[in-house]
Amino acid sequence: MKPSFLKKYGLHAILFPVAILWISPLIWILVTSVKTRIEVFDSSSGLLPQNFIWENYPSAMSVAPFGTYMVNSFLVTGGILICQIVTISLAAYAFARLTFPFKNVIFSLFLLQIMFPIYAIFLTNFITVRELGLMNSLPAMIVPFIASGYGTFMLRQAFRQVPTELSDAAKLDGCGHLSTLWHVYLPLVRPTLIAFAIISIVTHWNDYMWPLLVTNSESVRTLPIGLGLLAKSDSGADWTRLMAATVIVISPLLLLFVIFQRRFVDSFMHAGLK
Amino acid sequence: MRFPSEKSTKESLVALAMLLPSLIFLTAFTYWPILRSLYFSFHDVMLGSNKIYFLGWENYERVLTDALFWKSFRNTAFYTLITIPAAIICALLLAVALDTKIRGVALYRSAFFYPVMIPSVAAGMVWVFLYAPGYGPINGMMDILGLPKLEWLYSSEWALPAIMIMSIWKYSGYFMLILLAALQLVPRDLYEAAKLDGVSTWHQLIHITIPLISPTIYFVVIIGILHSYQIFDYVFVMTQGGPADSTNVLTLYIYQNAFQYQDIGFASTVANMLLLFIGILIALIAATLGRRVHYLGS
Repeated sequence: MKPSFLKKYGLHAILFPVAILWISPLIWILVTSVKTRIEVFDSSSGLLPQNFIWENYPSAMSVAPFGTYMVNSFLVTGGILICQIVTISLAAYAFARLTFPFKNVIFSLFLLQIMFPIYAIFLTNFITVRELGLMNSLPAMIVPFIASGYGTFMLRQAFRQVPTELSDAAKLDGCGHLSTLWHVYLPLVRPTLIAFAIISIVTHWNDYMWPLLVTNSESVRTLPIGLGLLAKSDSGADWTRLMAATVIVISPLLLLFVIFQRRFVDSFMHAGLK
Repeated sequence: MRFPSEKSTKESLVALAMLLPSLIFLTAFTYWPILRSLYFSFHDVMLGSNKIYFLGWENYERVLTDALFWKSFRNTAFYTLITIPAAIICALLLAVALDTKIRGVALYRSAFFYPVMIPSVAAGMVWVFLYAPGYGPINGMMDILGLPKLEWLYSSEWALPAIMIMSIWKYSGYFMLILLAALQLVPRDLYEAAKLDGVSTWHQLIHITIPLISPTIYFVVIIGILHSYQIFDYVFVMTQGGPADSTNVLTLYIYQNAFQYQDIGFASTVANMLLLFIGILIALIAATLGRRVHYLGS
């Protein structure tokens, strides 16, 4: 049975304009970043610029230390991820394979963490971080995110799928819990680890509120904070330079997304289901 | 009576050692702050001062009679209760459309999903530009379509809706992806059978698709509510709560009280009210939607 013309193209007729609408902010960023300032404020100049003005990019790079911001973003996001992988693999192994008292109560404490994102508890965390003398440092941006109830849950589910015969065999070979975790469990749950890593990277690379609260000097700021500051100092006067800066800030993740599209989509798709 | 064997004691100790790194950070940065916020709310605490005075319920009495608190509360509730359902409906329609064999599914999926990759501060800033009353493209489009131009972020009537529209753009793709994963598990032959019985597409959606993926919809609703906290970033970047506090929300109000007025006691009280609001909202959803999901699943 052949689908009718309407069935075949009707869906595109709805989806295509919606998709264009969705990507138009991105197109607007890209196009503005190569315009002149005059063209931005002249509504009769049309969507595309007369000439592509690449100078906005070096100009954006020169007004703020985006190189330093990028390194800091990298260190903070990487630091959070490495610490998280350590804490969640240990905890997930305990929940999946060991028996101990109050297991369910402790597990619900882990799960309940999901209900308290940093936006809900930033105030008292700010005071704790200040008392610990961590203000204006890279660790200040890392510590609140080291324990992850969500990651522990994801990994516990994956660990439970690992056949117990495998860990029993490892035990007979004289492996302790740690080496069983390292040699048997972690290699077997690589897809789950990658999914968690992608979600963690996307979340913390883009973090705004918390790094904003705990940093106050250029040397420790991350990309989103740098962009926010530039926007504030410009206050709409120089959109072309600001959009060039925006391209610099959003391109690392967008490029990764384009290259590893399948992995990204799969990670976000299945993260909530298991 | 059974005594714990040596083996099970040892296993408990191993488990404790493995949980300890998580438990330390979970306590220090999730549960201790909540308890402390509760403690602060009954005291007069100023930022940067070591003196603490007991106040009793005074901060709570102040909150309940504070006009700006209620305004921020209304804005927060309005934002959450409209944006999240709207984004989910949008996401559901997109997911159903993409759960077909049309060409270019991957491209469409990326087009709707990419806003998730964009930092909230960048998204907020770009939309300030898009909403600019004089030269912004949105007013340009409105003009072409013959609609009246709006002041958007400069109008106390339209600023919050403007941020809500942006949020729908930002989150729909994420919700769509989660729903799409659930849709792919719905057995195809159910649709075939429905089609043979002459059930319309709309009725298939209402009577087959939605009930079958209701656990995922429930999950997305909870995720959505928790994401709505992020409005702080948008408001901070786009409007600073203005004009005339028309976009002030509870998270921003906590920030203002803590860092502009240094009043940690009062700010903690507002933070506790916010947690209470989100808690009640989630409990209500669990009692209504959650129960329904369970009923359909059994």
